[in-house]
Amino acid sequence: MLKKTTVQKLSDLAAGLMEKGALIAPVREEAGHNFREISDPAAVDLDFYNTLLSPKSVFFPHTEDFIRYKTGASIAEAVCVEPDIRPTVLFGVRPCDVKSFEIMDIHFTGTGKVDPYWAKRREAATIFGYAFDPNTPADPADFYSTLGIGAADPEGSDVFMIRKDQDLLLQAVSPKGEKLLSELPSLSDASADDQKYFDGTVAAGRTFKTRFTCVEAEPIAKKFEDLFHNAAFWEKVSEACLSCGACTFVCPTCYCFDICDETLFSQGTRRRVWDSCMFTDFTLEASGHNPRTKVYQRLRQKISHKYSYHIRKYGPISCVGCGRCTRNCPVNIDIFSIVNEAMKA
Amino acid sequence: MATSFKQIEENLKTEAGKLLDAGKVSMVLAYGRGYDEKHPLPYVARSLADVDGMVFNEYCTANLARYLVRYPRGTKIGIAAKAADSRAVIQLIQEDKVKRDDLVILGIPVYGMKNAKTDEAIDAKTTCGLYNPVIYDVLLGEEVHGQPVLSPYEVLEKVEAMGQDERFAFWKKELDRCIRCYACRKACPMCYCDPCFIDQNKPKWGEKSPETGGNLMYHLTRFHHLAGRCIDCGECSRACPVDIPLYLFHKKVAKECEEMFGQAAGMSIDEKPALINFRVEDSDKILE
Repeated sequence: MLKKTTVQKLSDLAAGLMEKGALIAPVREEAGHNFREISDPAAVDLDFYNTLLSPKSVFFPHTEDFIRYKTGASIAEAVCVEPDIRPTVLFGVRPCDVKSFEIMDIHFTGTGKVDPYWAKRREAATIFGYAFDPNTPADPADFYSTLGIGAADPEGSDVFMIRKDQDLLLQAVSPKGEKLLSELPSLSDASADDQKYFDGTVAAGRTFKTRFTCVEAEPIAKKFEDLFHNAAFWEKVSEACLSCGACTFVCPTCYCFDICDETLFSQGTRRRVWDSCMFTDFTLEASGHNPRTKVYQRLRQKISHKYSYHIRKYGPISCVGCGRCTRNCPVNIDIFSIVNEAMKA
Repeated sequence: MATSFKQIEENLKTEAGKLLDAGKVSMVLAYGRGYDEKHPLPYVARSLADVDGMVFNEYCTANLARYLVRYPRGTKIGIAAKAADSRAVIQLIQEDKVKRDDLVILGIPVYGMKNAKTDEAIDAKTTCGLYNPVIYDVLLGEEVHGQPVLSPYEVLEKVEAMGQDERFAFWKKELDRCIRCYACRKACPMCYCDPCFIDQNKPKWGEKSPETGGNLMYHLTRFHHLAGRCIDCGECSRACPVDIPLYLFHKKVAKECEEMFGQAAGMSIDEKPALINFRVEDSDKILE
């Protein structure tokens, strides 16, 4: 089923989606676009390249409360926090970011242990993917085609959207998407021409090239295993690294977190908060020992996790080439260049 | 006439090469090629062969003084330093984090640096606004003169005009956007505490989650910890992925400090940092 609307009528579509549940969509903010829950349908803005922060926080919030308690009170009085889970429409997600959900599913639901917070939010969400325009060049930091992801891959979305000038074409991809699309009165039926344009764009997206290098899972996993003890290599590529957490916090596939007890007066909350392997205290042990005191050890961990350990443990490379880590690095460290250097090393 | 970026790059390569060749330094901190021209990378040359990898253009904004404390004391280091960067070097010498004798400062007089993210010119609005390095051993171009000299504090007008409530609301809104990636403190040449107070958990000074309480605790403490020490390079704000205008707070504190103690941070290696120096004639305004 292919439907259409116009960019001018985007707020009507947004208003229709808000009737179905919470709408989370890109809005323009100080530093760029970000996914936010929409209260004013006119705030939804599809004129963006990609969002500054990845959409992972929709399913895996930066801070998630688990338990509330009073300090000094009996444990029996502690209360489990029920997660606020509502039907959600996640609108305007780029194909590489949609792919990241599949990778994150492995960690939160795919290893036999199910994280109920992630799983319930994922289940409650309908994803509207949104194609990059294969007729305009990619951002110089992007490299999603290296990871085999097209500029307009509908896979993984429930509804997939492609911009055709001032028109917005919406294709149902899953039964969930099909049902939702059929219930939106602001949409009209698309023509055969529109269908041709849609299919053509999906195909063009598959041959579209961002920065590209031939990376295959098995050989690259082996390469980084071999490089583990090559301190000279890692010291060289990490010389500029400040060891801040910007790359990991904007990354759609970084999933490390810390469980913290935060108390104010006698009110305590046990919560999960994003953590970063780039932080010095990430591996600080209670004994005082820290196995990763050097910057190069931490950068090696971050990159080897994505391009080696993850492959060995779960299969796929844990990177979608969205380019956010590179764009947001204060000193312009580029994971794509490091992977390239590693292959040459 | 300011020396062109290309010429500065050539001079940088020549001087760095000489230093390494003569064994005067074991490394030169400079800029190298990034993934494209707009995104150069801080770069370390350790041999004559490495010198070829150096670049210098309007996007070489990183303050390389940040890296000085990373190497063992006594390492002989050559460092490429623009105006504010040279002030950071001075401040680090004042704080005894590096020794003047261990450094060869390759001063870069420069006008027309640009922010790669916004393509806007970098001037007194977000930095100290100086064009020429305050200290150097070799100058890699002609001193810049005749460009507008702007007060680094002019940009504060808007914030200073705010009432207390409005100002608090302004900073709360800005700091609430913080994602606690700590890029600001890591890009800062003066943030070398190990561990940073916010990473300590015994005692715990602030919460880890990116919410108002912990965010205020982290930023306000950091702002004050940099009082009389911030040399206004603006790196914290450029490093911030969500563009929080941290420079406004730092500038305000720097201005107060300058008014009270008659000295700006990192302007002379003969001075002591304002807040660790006691002089009978010092202003008592801080106690009011």
